Amino acid sequence: MIGLSAEERAEIEAFVFREARLADEADYAGWEALLTDDMHYWVPFGPAGYEAGARMSYINDNRTRLATRLRQLMTGHRHAQTPPSPMRRIISNLELLERTEREYLVAGNFALYELSAQATRELRLWAGRTTWRLRRTDDGLRLCRKVVELVNASEPQWSLAFII
Amino acid sequence: MSATDSNAVDYRRLVEDRRVHGSLYTDARVFEDELDRIFRRGWVFVGHDSEIANEGDWVTRRLGREPVIMVRAGDGRVHVLANRCAHRGTMLCWQDRGGGRRSFQCSYHGWVFGLDGRLRSLPGRSGFEGALERLDLARPGQVASYRGFVFANQSGDAGPLDDHLGPAGKALIDRALALSPVGRLAIGAGWVGQRVASNWKMWPESDNDGYHLAIAHASLQKAVPGTQYEAALFSPELDNTSQARDHGRGHVELELRSGYDRELAWLGTTRDKVQAYADALAKAHGREMADRLLWDGPPHALIFPNLFLGEMNLAIIQPVGPDETIHYHTPLLLDGVDEALNRRILRQSEAAMGPASFFLPDDAVIAERMQQGWRVDRATADGWVDLGRGVARERRDGGGDGTGDGAGRVGHVSDETTNRGFWRHYRDVMTGRT
Repeated sequence: MIGLSAEERAEIEAFVFREARLADEADYAGWEALLTDDMHYWVPFGPAGYEAGARMSYINDNRTRLATRLRQLMTGHRHAQTPPSPMRRIISNLELLERTEREYLVAGNFALYELSAQATRELRLWAGRTTWRLRRTDDGLRLCRKVVELVNASEPQWSLAFII
Repeated sequence: MSATDSNAVDYRRLVEDRRVHGSLYTDARVFEDELDRIFRRGWVFVGHDSEIANEGDWVTRRLGREPVIMVRAGDGRVHVLANRCAHRGTMLCWQDRGGGRRSFQCSYHGWVFGLDGRLRSLPGRSGFEGALERLDLARPGQVASYRGFVFANQSGDAGPLDDHLGPAGKALIDRALALSPVGRLAIGAGWVGQRVASNWKMWPESDNDGYHLAIAHASLQKAVPGTQYEAALFSPELDNTSQARDHGRGHVELELRSGYDRELAWLGTTRDKVQAYADALAKAHGREMADRLLWDGPPHALIFPNLFLGEMNLAIIQPVGPDETIHYHTPLLLDGVDEALNRRILRQSEAAMGPASFFLPDDAVIAERMQQGWRVDRATADGWVDLGRGVARERRDGGGDGTGDGAGRVGHVSDETTNRGFWRHYRDVMTGRT
C-alpha cells in the first residue's frame, strides 16, 4: 500500500485481517466492537454505481439496521445461520485509495469459502472486492464503512445471512 | 404419455384433501409434468408493464424453463417473445433488462427482429427459399394482462385469463393498486433473487403459511419487537383475528387486515410520518375509503402458480429443477406518491425479502431441510405431508371481498387452509380437471 508508513500499513493490515477473522468465526459481538456509531454496511445489487437506498441492495445497513442484524444473529434462533456457517476468507491485493487526516480508504479482493452447514452442507464460494473506510479514534482504528461488491452481484444469491 | 406409461404419476392418489405425498417435492418426473401442465399449459405471471414504461424497454424472464423477453413496442403494446433467434436459437438478450431498443439483432448471423417479434432483415436473403414469415420469433399462445400484470400461456389453450384470475384474483390485484392514489404501480427497482435448494412448491406454501411465524421467525421477533406482524401473525392463537383464505383456482391469502391493531401497521409507520400520502389517498378515494386503505394495506396472497403479492413486494417463484428454485422479489413501488414513500417501501422490502433479509433466509433454510426430508419414493407408505390443521374450524366463504364464486374457504390465519387450497387446485390441474 503506497502512501503509508510501514507502521500504518501494518496497523491497517492487522485491522482488516482481524475484521475478517471475527466475521469468519461468527464473533458478532467482537465484530460489532470494531464499528463506529455511523457505520454503513453496503452490499450492492448489481454494479455499485448508484446511491444506496435509491435502488435495491442485498444489504444497505445504517448503524441501527446493522445492530438489528447482529441482534437477530445473536438470538441463537436465526435458522439461516444455525449453526453459523464455517467460513474462511482470503484477503489480498490491498490498496490505499484515499487518506485524510483521520481516515483511510482501503480496498482489496476476497475469496470466501462457506460451508452451508444448516441444510445442504455444500461448500460455497463467494468472491469480490471489499472497500473499508477506517477512522482513527481514541480507541485506535475503527470501521465506519464497508462495501462488498460481489463478482456475481447481479445474479440470484444463496442465503447471505452471515457477515460478508 | 400414454395410458400404459408405467412410470406415470398418479396425482389423484398422491394429493389427498388433507395430506399430500412428499415425493411430489423431489420426484424428477413430477417436475417435468409440472413444467408441462402448470408452466406450459397454464397461465403464468411474466411481469408488470410498468417495468417497461417506454418504447424499446425490455426485461427477460422464464416461463417454466423457457427464456422469454417482455418488451414495449412502438405502438405501446407489450409483447412476450421467445428469447432465442428463430434461426438457430441463439439467445437474443442475455441481461436482465435494458432500454432504447428498436430491434433485436442476433449475434450469430445478424438476423434482425422487430420489437413485435417479426423478422425484419437478414444478411444473404437470396439463399433462403420460401416464406420467411414462419421465422418470426416464437411467442406464447396467449398473452393477456390485468391492470398491468402481464401473464402468458405457452400452449394457447388455457382459456381466458379472466377465468384463471377469477373475481377473487382480480380483487387481490385491485387491492394492491388501490394503494396508489392514481391506481398505478411503478415497478423498476430491480428483482433481487434468492436461490434455494428446494422445490418451487414450498414457496406458494411458505409464503402463505400463517402457522410458522412464531417459530421459524422467532429470531426476528426477539430482535425487533413490535413489527407490523406482532398482532397480525405473531400473537397467540386465540387472540389473533387474521384469517387464512382459499379463494379457489389456487389463489390463496393470509388476510392480515382483520388482525392489525393499528393503521399503517403494514408500512411499519404512523400517519404523521406519511401525511402527504394519506392526503393524496383521501383526495383520490375520499376520506372514508382512504382511512380504510391505510388500515387494510396490501394483500398477502398467491396468484397461482408463481406470483406472490407479498404485501409491499411482488415476488416471482421461479422453478429451476426439482431441487432448486429462485424466489425473486421487487418492491411494490407506487405511482403518484412522493419519492420518500417509495424509498420507505424499498427499505422495508430490503428487510423482508432477499438473501440477506431478516425473513427470507430463514424460510429458505426450512425449505431446504424439507427438501432433504422428503427424499422419499412415491411408494413410501408413510411419506405424507400433513396439511390437516384447521379442517374442523374452516368455513365455506365466497371470498375476501364477497366477489368469489362460492368456492372459497376461510380459516384461522394459522390454519392450513391456504396450503390445502393450493394443493386442491394443483390436483385439478395435474389431473386435467380445470
